Amino acid sequence: MVEFSSSLNLFLATAATLVAIGVYGFIVGPEPLRRIVALNIISAGIFMLMVVLAYRSAGPDAVSTLADPVLHALVLTGLVVAVSATAFALALLARLGKTTADRPEEPGP
Amino acid sequence: MMILLLVLPLAAALLMLLWPRIAPLLALFSAAVCSFLALQLLLQVSEQGTRYWLLAGWPSGLAIAWQADTLSCLLILLTAVLQLLVGFYAFATRARDKLSQGFWPLSSLLQLSLTALWLSRDLFNLYVCLELLALVAVALVSLSGRKAIKPALNYLLLSLFGSLCYLLGVVLLYGAYGRLDIAGLVSQWQPNLLTNSALLLMSLGLMLKAALWPLHGWLPAAHAAAPAPVSALLSALVVKGPLFILCLLWLQLASTEQAQAMAPLFAGAGLAALLFGGWSALRTPFAKNLVAYSTVAQLGYATLALGLMLKFDQPLIFAALWLFVLAHALAKAACFLAIGEMSGTLGGKRLTTLKGASQTMPLAMFAFAVAGGSLIGLPPSGGFLAKWALLQGLWLQEQQLFWPLALVLATLLSAAYVFRVVVLAFDRADPVAPDFSPQVLPQWLALLPALAVWAMALFSEPLLLLLRLEAL
Amino acid sequence: MSPFWLSYLPLAIILSSLLPGLIIFTLKEQQVKLRIALNLLGVTVKLVLVLIMWQAVKAGAVFYFSVPFLPGAELVLQGDALSLLFVVLSSVLWLATTIYAIGYLENSPLRSRFFGYFSLCVSATVGLALSGNLVSFLLFYELLTLATFPLVVHRGTPEALAAGRRYLAYTLSGGLLLLTGVALLHSLVQSPQFIPGGYVSAVVSEHAGLLQLAFGLMIAGLGVKAALLPLHGWLPQAMVAPAPVSALLHAVAVVKAGAFGIIRLVYDVFGVDSMQQLQLAEPLMLLAATTILYGSWRALAQQDIKKRLAYSTISQVSYITVGVAMLGPLAAVGGLVHLVHQGVMKITLFFCAGNYAETLGVHKINELNGAGRRMPLTSVAFTVAALGMIGIPPTAGFISKWYLGLGAVATDNSLMLLVFVFSGLLNAAYFLPIVYRLWFLPQGGNWPKEQRLSATLETHWMLLLPMLFTAVLIILMGVFASTGVSPLSWTQLIVEREFSYD
Repeated sequence: MVEFSSSLNLFLATAATLVAIGVYGFIVGPEPLRRIVALNIISAGIFMLMVVLAYRSAGPDAVSTLADPVLHALVLTGLVVAVSATAFALALLARLGKTTADRPEEPGP
Repeated sequence: MMILLLVLPLAAALLMLLWPRIAPLLALFSAAVCSFLALQLLLQVSEQGTRYWLLAGWPSGLAIAWQADTLSCLLILLTAVLQLLVGFYAFATRARDKLSQGFWPLSSLLQLSLTALWLSRDLFNLYVCLELLALVAVALVSLSGRKAIKPALNYLLLSLFGSLCYLLGVVLLYGAYGRLDIAGLVSQWQPNLLTNSALLLMSLGLMLKAALWPLHGWLPAAHAAAPAPVSALLSALVVKGPLFILCLLWLQLASTEQAQAMAPLFAGAGLAALLFGGWSALRTPFAKNLVAYSTVAQLGYATLALGLMLKFDQPLIFAALWLFVLAHALAKAACFLAIGEMSGTLGGKRLTTLKGASQTMPLAMFAFAVAGGSLIGLPPSGGFLAKWALLQGLWLQEQQLFWPLALVLATLLSAAYVFRVVVLAFDRADPVAPDFSPQVLPQWLALLPALAVWAMALFSEPLLLLLRLEAL
Repeated sequence: MSPFWLSYLPLAIILSSLLPGLIIFTLKEQQVKLRIALNLLGVTVKLVLVLIMWQAVKAGAVFYFSVPFLPGAELVLQGDALSLLFVVLSSVLWLATTIYAIGYLENSPLRSRFFGYFSLCVSATVGLALSGNLVSFLLFYELLTLATFPLVVHRGTPEALAAGRRYLAYTLSGGLLLLTGVALLHSLVQSPQFIPGGYVSAVVSEHAGLLQLAFGLMIAGLGVKAALLPLHGWLPQAMVAPAPVSALLHAVAVVKAGAFGIIRLVYDVFGVDSMQQLQLAEPLMLLAATTILYGSWRALAQQDIKKRLAYSTISQVSYITVGVAMLGPLAAVGGLVHLVHQGVMKITLFFCAGNYAETLGVHKINELNGAGRRMPLTSVAFTVAALGMIGIPPTAGFISKWYLGLGAVATDNSLMLLVFVFSGLLNAAYFLPIVYRLWFLPQGGNWPKEQRLSATLETHWMLLLPMLFTAVLIILMGVFASTGVSPLSWTQLIVEREFSYD
């Protein structure tokens, strides 16, 4: 299917590790901030995977010239989305922090 | 026309930011024009067949693929019309409910992202739409102030996690096949470990976003916390977006073996959602939570239909799936508006506030009951059409007694929670007095979608035929 | 055959009660005169329209009106002899009940809502009678459930709400079973119009099992409203509703909807031949016979007047089912005519029970001692209706039992004959003691003083008039049974058409 050089395999493994760490952090951490960070780690892993995959069609040692531009474009789009989502989440978190002091009862289960 | 449908809400949203004073007018205007355009597009497509469009003239495979088939057009029409209705409701109650100005641009953006989602047939573009949809939806939930921040944040985080799962799946597929358009992927699709895991990852993310059982945990809190018009939009439309993509994935991309393997899981999850959601709706002491749990349950119908469709490959079941979605969207919008109206006027979130509402607010209660009739599936409402199509599809298969029985049970549960409210409304012992005299116009606006879902009976035959053709 | 507007006649008959009902919802509580006028206008228009239709159907016309709905199943309204039987019954009794309800509910709150739903209820019943295929029938069947629910819980007391919940639980489950059955049948043979002789015969040999299943599901669904044995639980409890509602539920709307559905199912969907081939009639007949005996037996033990009447209804409605299930022409005449006769008799009994409750505050049977002297007219009506229920000539009840008996003999059902005799004895055992108490025992209860509701009469004239009207009808239907305008002659016409299709 897709062939990778050994150096790329290292990147792949790193990306996978990042995703794994992120997922672990997301599932375990109850605090919202921790989860936001975990989400960012996952997206870093996915973007890394995308960047690595961009080289998949290139030969064993060609690294620079024949990368897939579509994936790069996608990574850029993804980054924009991820950054705005993170910003939004942080803003919400900040508002939550401001209001926890006198927060009324929870509405329902 | 497709471009206009996308550009108009976007332009309206931008103009609203520049000129907030006329924001409501702009939102209503754009929703009205979009409804009209969507109707035109639907008529055109149903006459001349599906229309394809590649963005900016790039060759297929590189360009973002768009496609307007009858189903997409129906959903666009539904989105625009509901936006219009809910917009009117929000406009009529804006002073009383202290609705934030932010509602108007956000609702236009919601319409934009949904329209784009119904039209696009490109996995990455779908991801962008999903993400935009989620952000807008969360922003809308957070409009209701302090108490909504926590559910909103929870919703956002889970939704982002879901998007990332979906994105990972998309990346895997792109890595293998080098394309993102669904039509292109179908032609090269092979069932193997990679596509299996990509499909599963994407489904996981989408199920989380669509609040399908067992990943529905965030939905009741988020939908109950939002202001009434927002809850209506969220329950009616937003959760249907991921569901739509899920259907695209499994019905178009997945190979027969993959579909067959997944079918029992979806059907089982749907049934579980129906039972669990119905049961929770019966237990909860809060009015809006009841409606939100009913959304979980009703999404179960859609999941169940998807599972059965994968199993039997019967066009009628496909029609049932989307009839459920259409009927539920209209009915749920009416439910949330009616409940919002009643708890707003009677002053309280608990179900017991609705005691005697058939006297104090007959119109809103009637709207709830009428919409509830469709949720139960009483003839000749939209919910009945869906159930009828599903039953017909099932009876056409030999030896299928289990699923009709399960449907009967689920329907009884939904009847139980709908009439839990209605019976309470007929309690004459000591009715809760309204805090102020009830407004008539918002109650009528709540009634409109409820009547619309019953009016689906008038178009039942063409609807069934169109949707059945779409499945082939 | 007829001018163009005649095809809209079935629709017009439904609208004649639906439209006034919808307008009444919007009226204010104080607009009493307008409300009464609307109600009476609706009734009059309906009766005139029904009369026109009756004339035409008698001459052999069949009315037909349809709108597209589902693929293979339009919404059809069809005016034939059988549907007209039920339409006439409900329209005439609607007239009586409306007048009664106006008197009964004088000065009570929420009357607009009550009369609104009341009209909807009648519209649904008439729609059900006129529906021309199973899908339309299902639609009106469910609408009837929805329209009657607010009437059952009208009083809004905890008991009323409990009864309402129970009523819904039963009827909605029933509707659902019916839906499942109809959908199953539709997948086999679509849903064409009702036709004498049925339309399933083509697939009997191929799908016998599925047809039996569909029949079972649909009978279970209809059996809830017809109060067949294990499904009757809602009926006695629904007695908490106001008297006009109980009268309507028992005599016309709900239980009759179930019984009428069974008639349609047996004769016009499955047909006599297919019923015999599939061996469906026997179990249905035995179930109904058990219900007859069970209902009578339970009625004996009831001390509440309305409860006793309720169990009596359970028993009496099953006569219709038995008559239908015996599959013979004479038995069919008995069953069909009992649909009308039982309706008129039972509504009289409920009017009387309502009068006792309103005027004397009496709800229990042992408080009725000596009421005959205080309220002679009511007590006479009660006696006539009770004698009719037992089946004593010359009342209407005698006619239906006579034909049922003849039918049992004609179809060699000696078991059924025994059931009729035994049940007749039980009927006498639970009705005659009441009659005895009314006339022959001294006054026992502590009644409010006389002339509270009316200066000259024993109670309000609006409560008396409808009751006397139906009581006279009982006698007339019995005495003039052989003339051309009696229900009996009409059912003979129906049966002639139903049994001579080939």
